[in-house]
Amino acid sequence: MLSELGLRDADELFTDIPKKVRIGRLGVGAGRDEIDVIRTVDKLLDRNKPYSKFSQFLGGRITTPFSPAALDAVVSRSEFYTSYTPYQPEASQGMLQSLFEFQSLWVELTGLDAANASLYDGATASGEALLLCRRIHEGHRFLIPASLPWEEKSVLANYAAGHAIRIEEIPFDARTSRLDLEWVRSAVRQGDVFGALVDLPNGFGHLDEGLPIVKEALGSVPLVVAADPLVLSVVEPPGAWGADIVVGEGQGFGLAPSFGGPLLGLFACRRDHLRMSPGRIVGATRDQEGRRAFTLTLQTREQHIRRSRATSNICTNESLLALGFVVYASLVGPHGLAQLQARLAEKARTLATALGEIKGLMAPRFDAPYLASFALGLRSGTPGRFLDLLRRRRVLGGYPLADPRPGAPTAEPLLLTSVNEATDEKDIQRFVRSARAAVATMTERP
Amino acid sequence: MTFRQARWDEPLIWELGSAVGETPPPSIPTLPDRLRRKRPVRWPELSELEVVRHYTRLSQMNFGIDTSAYPLGSCTMKYNPKVSELLARRRTAAELHPNQPVETVQGALEMIWRLEKALGKITGFPEVSLQPAAGAHGEFAALLMVRAYFRDRGELEGRTEVLLPDTAHGTNPASAMMAGFQAKEIASKEGCIDLDALRGAVGPKTAAFMLTNPNTAGLFESQIVEIAETVHAAGGLLYYDGANLNAILGVTNPGRMGFDVAHLNLHKTFATPHGGGGPGAGVLAAGERLAPYLPVPRVAKRGRAFALDYDRPKSIGKIKAAYGNFGLDLRAYVFLLSHGEEGLKAVARRSVLNANYLGKRLGRFLPRPFRTLVKHEFLLSGAPLKAKGVRTLDLAKRLLDEGYHAPTVYFPSLVEESLMFEFPETESKRELDEFALAFERAVTDTPEHLHAAPRSLAVGRVDEVLAARELLLSWKDLRGRPETFEAAAPVGSGP
Repeated sequence: MLSELGLRDADELFTDIPKKVRIGRLGVGAGRDEIDVIRTVDKLLDRNKPYSKFSQFLGGRITTPFSPAALDAVVSRSEFYTSYTPYQPEASQGMLQSLFEFQSLWVELTGLDAANASLYDGATASGEALLLCRRIHEGHRFLIPASLPWEEKSVLANYAAGHAIRIEEIPFDARTSRLDLEWVRSAVRQGDVFGALVDLPNGFGHLDEGLPIVKEALGSVPLVVAADPLVLSVVEPPGAWGADIVVGEGQGFGLAPSFGGPLLGLFACRRDHLRMSPGRIVGATRDQEGRRAFTLTLQTREQHIRRSRATSNICTNESLLALGFVVYASLVGPHGLAQLQARLAEKARTLATALGEIKGLMAPRFDAPYLASFALGLRSGTPGRFLDLLRRRRVLGGYPLADPRPGAPTAEPLLLTSVNEATDEKDIQRFVRSARAAVATMTERP
Repeated sequence: MTFRQARWDEPLIWELGSAVGETPPPSIPTLPDRLRRKRPVRWPELSELEVVRHYTRLSQMNFGIDTSAYPLGSCTMKYNPKVSELLARRRTAAELHPNQPVETVQGALEMIWRLEKALGKITGFPEVSLQPAAGAHGEFAALLMVRAYFRDRGELEGRTEVLLPDTAHGTNPASAMMAGFQAKEIASKEGCIDLDALRGAVGPKTAAFMLTNPNTAGLFESQIVEIAETVHAAGGLLYYDGANLNAILGVTNPGRMGFDVAHLNLHKTFATPHGGGGPGAGVLAAGERLAPYLPVPRVAKRGRAFALDYDRPKSIGKIKAAYGNFGLDLRAYVFLLSHGEEGLKAVARRSVLNANYLGKRLGRFLPRPFRTLVKHEFLLSGAPLKAKGVRTLDLAKRLLDEGYHAPTVYFPSLVEESLMFEFPETESKRELDEFALAFERAVTDTPEHLHAAPRSLAVGRVDEVLAARELLLSWKDLRGRPETFEAAAPVGSGP
């Protein structure tokens, strides 16, 4: 190849790079063959203790779902996972049709008009929703629950940072965790509110019974609902109670948490707002022979066409996880999803009831409905100490909800505790036994 | 080569079986009636076989790197090693919750730490964060860091502009807008930065100048030192878009070139799969001035243990849930281990050789704008084809019939009817030669054939105008329109 270019050495291909910016050694070590790579990486990974080795109660926005074997069989098809963004529709009908099915499923779960083909994760989907509200409605104030997880507050603050937006926190009732709708009404009356976000379940894992009337308090101000897709299999779709945008984290549909990424951002909105909405969208059409076909559409909203006037900068999304999401729902089926949610609710109730009998614990901390997760309160000791004591007995009892950044405002010490599909009676018993012992230890030696 | 893609008349999934009836979901004692779903989710009840066969058939109507080469400029579609897929599926990698106690995820934290250190060496920057979900997300985060930096210096009010060349990726101006800056494009000269135009554009309003080097014309910006001096003299920061890093691995790096901050795309240079559009993984690498603003948490080594460090008072906070796309980071780490020092340098040599070799071969058929010594990619102009009524788009579709993905088309826009080609290092000379022959067949074909392409795929030329007019975006929109958008043989009644 070099000789055909009239060159003697590949270095001659780099004469356009000035000497002044050349570098010497990288210092990244020598390459390894496959057997050595596997040995090295496995040695590293073996220092992890996967949650399946414990009686574990981790959940929340990111969960620990069971994944049917058929799911990985489909997403491991290399025609899917090694493919590029389907900008050439004729070569990409498989992915495009799958994404169309995915969009249809999220439309069905949310009760809204249209969904996009995915965003990065639930938190960034909320950020994009905030920016869409800003395009829909005048104003500078955006309302979020004070109970929203600190990570999501931080992501929202970053999405708002460049746009003269003030994020204000809706207070909640200390007994029930319900949002103060009177406060919302008054905020809207004061004016300058361009949108509000509420979450289902909320940051404490509880369901706010007041959500179906939030939209009444907002009037024409757009409402964003951040919803768990499994919860939507048993709860009335937010579109039916006035939501304008519904976002969510889709990882819980059979997708491995993988230490928190990749995740799956879900996004649906009303038809009126589609042209201002972010992300890729798949539409149905025909080919030149009149056959049904699928293609990316409304691309004039996107960065590769509209550049600085695009509705978002997003390019790469989470297509492969969107495929996994729709495959999971199709394997489990609509009935199966609702039954799964019912089983989780039953386990969570059993766990909370048993923990609630331990003096020193508030389980659940709030007097409010819950499904798979609830907030666990401690009357003494710290969540960190409590979790350490549990871990010694091979129990991962959840995680602290507080913002870990130094200088963060102090909040009531709470844990988020969740059940999952693998949780069995023995796990629950072990948690309860260990919690009782932990509380005793903390009381004796605080 | 004769090529024909599978052509299944595969129904939509709800056409495969009927949805459950109107029975409401099971009663849950802890769920108040007020919130309860009144009718079940309308989705079909199917057997495992029905689901698997449906999606297997769909997969057969999709190009992937394993079936077809992708000469896609700026997208670096290289082979995705299977060993990475194997390791990313280990229970010790997949079954980790981000909120597990750090004592139980020491291996994950060490992997992140090691990868960040290695990417720091490759980019020439002291600190790296793997938090962004993708390249554009990294751009956005970096520009938020730029905001925070100028806010701390009391200059944010004045520094409202982000400058970029007219050849910049579309994500650059869009990220500038998302971060609250005004994007201002600077006209290129001969495919590269016009230093005089840049000098005229920078000033007290300049927050940053975003540049990819080599640029999207495949050219190395040889005046990079002068560019960096110009931007810094005006008090601005220099941003490196790492989409094209493949060409310069181990030859130069953004730190040495004078950049202040960079993003990389692990799904390009570091061979993690594109997944049909995602997931990707973004990397933020920062020099001394911006490193304090990187997102939290940072992975820190304390003695022999690894921890999550939140004590970064200047940090912009979080830009996504958890710590980044760990599953992809692991694949990139595998790529780094496999290649090592010499392997990475060979990547640059091989990908640049591929581009120059193919550029020379294809240059016989269509004009090449600008100079011919390119890095990882090169441009052709399809303008001469217009005389016979053929557009670049027709040529792209005709290449699909040869079993190749199309090159990037109509970008960058400064070249009329542009086509941008990149064959990464994983493609062999034989594949390049085959592609050159396929290209010759396509470019010399009759206008009738070119307009009729593609004819070997699951569907013929797709009507994108109709899609934009009708906006049929879910099963709801298809209902009641069977005569227009019916599949060949619908089964069942649908939802």
